[in-house]
Amino acid sequence: MLKNWINIFFYQIKNNKFFTALNVLGLSIGIAGLIFATLYWNEEHSYDQWNPGKDKIYTVLNNIGGGNVWAVNSAVPGPILKATSSNLQDYCYFTTNYNKETIEYNGKIELVNKIFSAQSSFFSFFPFEFIQGNRKSALHDRNSMAISEELASRLFKNENPMGKQVKYAGNFFIVRGVYSLSQKSSVMPAAVTTIIEEELEKKKDSWGLNFGLMLKLKKQSDTTAILKDLNNIYVENNFKKQAKEEGITYEAFLKLYGEPVKAKLLPLPSVRLHLGNYPFPEGTANLHFLKILMGLSILILLLSIVNYINLATANAVKRAKEVGVRKIVGATKPQIITQFVFETTLITLFSLLLALVIVELSLPFYNSLLAKNLVLKGAQFYVQLIFIFIIVILVAGVLPAIYVSNFEPLKVLKGNFSRSKSGIWLRNGMLIFQFAIATFFIIGSFIVYQQVNYMANKDLGFKGAQVMDITFKPKKGKNQLERYKTIKQELLKIKGVQAVSAGVFSIGNDVNSWSGMHYKDNKEVIAQQMAIDFGMLDVLGVRIIKGRDLTNKIASDSISNVLLNEAAAKTLLEKDPINKEIIWENRKLKVVGVVNDFNYFGLQNRIAPMIFMHITAFDWIQKDLLNISVKIAPQDMPKTIGAIDKFWKAKVDAEYPFEFNFVDRSFARTYKEYQNQSQLFSLLNVIVILIAVFGLFALASFSMERRLREIAIRKTLGAETNVLLKELSKQYVIFCIIGFIIGIIPAYLLLQQWLDFFAFRINIQVFPFIIAFVSLLFLTLTIVLAKAYQVTKIDILKYLKYE
Amino acid sequence: MITINKLSKIFRSEELETSALNEITLTINEGDFVSIMGPSGSGKSTLLNIIGLLDSASSGSYLLLNQEMIGLKEKFKSKARKENIGFIFQNFNLIDELSVYDNIELPLIYNNVPSSERKKKIENIATVLGISHRLKHYPQQLSGGQQQRVAVARALINDPKIILADEPTGNLDSKNGNEVMELLTDLHANGATILMVTHSDYDASFSQKTVLMKDGIILSEKMNNRNVDVLVSNSKKLESC
Repeated sequence: MLKNWINIFFYQIKNNKFFTALNVLGLSIGIAGLIFATLYWNEEHSYDQWNPGKDKIYTVLNNIGGGNVWAVNSAVPGPILKATSSNLQDYCYFTTNYNKETIEYNGKIELVNKIFSAQSSFFSFFPFEFIQGNRKSALHDRNSMAISEELASRLFKNENPMGKQVKYAGNFFIVRGVYSLSQKSSVMPAAVTTIIEEELEKKKDSWGLNFGLMLKLKKQSDTTAILKDLNNIYVENNFKKQAKEEGITYEAFLKLYGEPVKAKLLPLPSVRLHLGNYPFPEGTANLHFLKILMGLSILILLLSIVNYINLATANAVKRAKEVGVRKIVGATKPQIITQFVFETTLITLFSLLLALVIVELSLPFYNSLLAKNLVLKGAQFYVQLIFIFIIVILVAGVLPAIYVSNFEPLKVLKGNFSRSKSGIWLRNGMLIFQFAIATFFIIGSFIVYQQVNYMANKDLGFKGAQVMDITFKPKKGKNQLERYKTIKQELLKIKGVQAVSAGVFSIGNDVNSWSGMHYKDNKEVIAQQMAIDFGMLDVLGVRIIKGRDLTNKIASDSISNVLLNEAAAKTLLEKDPINKEIIWENRKLKVVGVVNDFNYFGLQNRIAPMIFMHITAFDWIQKDLLNISVKIAPQDMPKTIGAIDKFWKAKVDAEYPFEFNFVDRSFARTYKEYQNQSQLFSLLNVIVILIAVFGLFALASFSMERRLREIAIRKTLGAETNVLLKELSKQYVIFCIIGFIIGIIPAYLLLQQWLDFFAFRINIQVFPFIIAFVSLLFLTLTIVLAKAYQVTKIDILKYLKYE
Repeated sequence: MITINKLSKIFRSEELETSALNEITLTINEGDFVSIMGPSGSGKSTLLNIIGLLDSASSGSYLLLNQEMIGLKEKFKSKARKENIGFIFQNFNLIDELSVYDNIELPLIYNNVPSSERKKKIENIATVLGISHRLKHYPQQLSGGQQQRVAVARALINDPKIILADEPTGNLDSKNGNEVMELLTDLHANGATILMVTHSDYDASFSQKTVLMKDGIILSEKMNNRNVDVLVSNSKKLESC
């Protein structure tokens, strides 16, 4: 029986080479799409899953009110919690960002990207596999450093790294452990030190939020108890204490400063896919994008399956006679179904293999779009692959098989079955469904493209094309501000340098610091601290719209006068915010000017309230001066940059490489991801259109070929070609229009939702819909008319006689 | 009306040439009822198809209404066909997806007849052919004889100059076959020009003239004598249908 089935299967393939090829290609593209999405999905879901203690590890987030949930913590509660709570096994403070610095060994300097600092308990939270040394002793004192296998081979080549001394950030460290990073983690550092202890020491009494904090519970279910303990610490040790100091009751204090911070615990296994602020330096997965990609891939696979079903049922009509004969000689319905499902299985198998080839070939391209390093492997993946395989067979195979098995042998063998209308509604319905999906994709990718284009061309409120943002690393034992002043004078001497200034921020990067701003009885406003040197706003081309800029001519400008941006000024609820006094960091400051709003983070974020003060206004700001901005003339840029580079290496920093970015390009990185997404959507769009076009062509071919006799009769009766073309194409145009109408509704709603991710976004216009409609109609007409023209050229006699 | 002179049709395949028609010469005048007979493969259907402008000849001349048809472009052939020729086939060639009414209407649509006039014409001819109660039915719901009558209605609706019938009774039982033949005879009596291909001597006896073909040539042409009385009784029968 199997041999018989295989014979007839290959006979059918041979006689329908073109359609079989389209079928296999369509299915394989659909499967390939889902494989791509699955690989991405698996990787993002694999983070931290290897960690044996994952179910007991939580990271602490702080809800500071007003919808702000921060991932950073004060240095205070950790030790108290450990001492007082019976539920806590251990805690670990860590830096929420990697440091990029040079590490020196034996005179050789390596620039290292992912330097991390945490308390010595870190390796009990992330028990990486140690190749040398062990988890317990790797970070046992302030001079210990543990490094990754990869860094070890970079720094030490074939030497044994254990016990070697390296220099990092002006300090000497001894390498006490080498670990390997074979699995994905929320923290994947190249080197770990306990430098953070110094900071913790300094801030041991400060309630400012600065550090990442992980907790390891004794039992997984203890979160409520721990949260209670934690919140209690905030209330007792912070708020009540402060109230006491100010000599007011706790209740009065609450009225004045609002509710205390509320802690939240985020379990480690779900950290990677968390939406919102998040402490670990590897960053979160782009969950929205992941879901969108997964959804679209499933949609594309569905599209190609619909195609398959369509072609299979259409083709089945041609095979009605075979089925009829099989039934007459004794085949049961289940046998017929099995036979056709078997054929689908073979086709799906070919498609799956082809899909794997497609994936393997285009994986590098996909990886570069996602900035990932996905590979085709893993037991989990192959299980999913088999699952996909079975699902495709079930969905694509069973429906046509049942349809075929229901043919009545007598009707079939009597003839004219091939003109029967059976199954036509299913096919037309599916065709409409395909048109709807195609509509959705065309509109979607066009709107995504428009939004990305808008982001690339939006007026950001600053001009960054000529402004170099130079990384300015501190030197041990030297004052950053003093160094900066000297460097500024030297830089201004270089030809082509127009202005030099600095700010304790870096546009388009994640550098930011926030604090509460108070004005009269208004609600506290969390404002972004933007410390600047005089002239910084000029360098960036940011306009002052009210009042004046800070200037070195007025002494109080470097002490107590500040600027607000429009967003911050609005929160004062005053007609004229100039000369109003606000309270910031427990000091009274006078507003002397209002700055035009400009974008600092990516365009998905609203422009936050900002407060601009001089670098010297608060003592603790100076040490954070890590960037210098240099505005250079547009002529001879490479020469100017070369001169600055030379000066920098000779006079400023011989170790850390000269590193700069033009501010506009730094900002462009914030939407780079969306540019990639837009490209990916365009690619998916092409795929969808291709599959839909295959489907339309194949279906139009089948249904027109079934009408050959009718066409012959019409021609005999004198129908002209254009009349016939109209007659043949009419229904497809109608399906196209129905599909379009069905498609625009989800397209509009879902794209509206997608655009809502952005604080700065386009409005959906009619234009993309018109584009989609015209292009869809154009494609439909081209395909259908081409096929229709072909069938009107048939030999009339053949179909009049022998039908 | 139709003048055919030395008309040949040669089918070529890679290996051999088959001459389906070999220098046929034939004239059909207005009002003639001619049958073509002959065994399978004698070329009678090929001749009919060429006359019906469904097929092209290899050489020779074919004048339809004094206009040369050989070498004419498809577009003009199509025009000449829809204006002048009505077809009746052995297997009716009705479009199953269209109702009887719609089937009959087709030639009128292709000749750009306005819809009000179409309706009148169709109702007329349906009454004449006794199928007016079947107009809303679909071909599959009718008997063979009724289907052929629909086909005849469709062939006549446009008042063609000549009716070409390709074995019109081939798919019918003798009773229905008879009816169709009587119908054609009646049409002829009213002045229609008919060219019919048939296997059946009986059917041929309804016509005025029988052309006998074999192997692509005309063997003989003979006049049939038929009693005019039959015609009268036939038309009476028709009315009772």
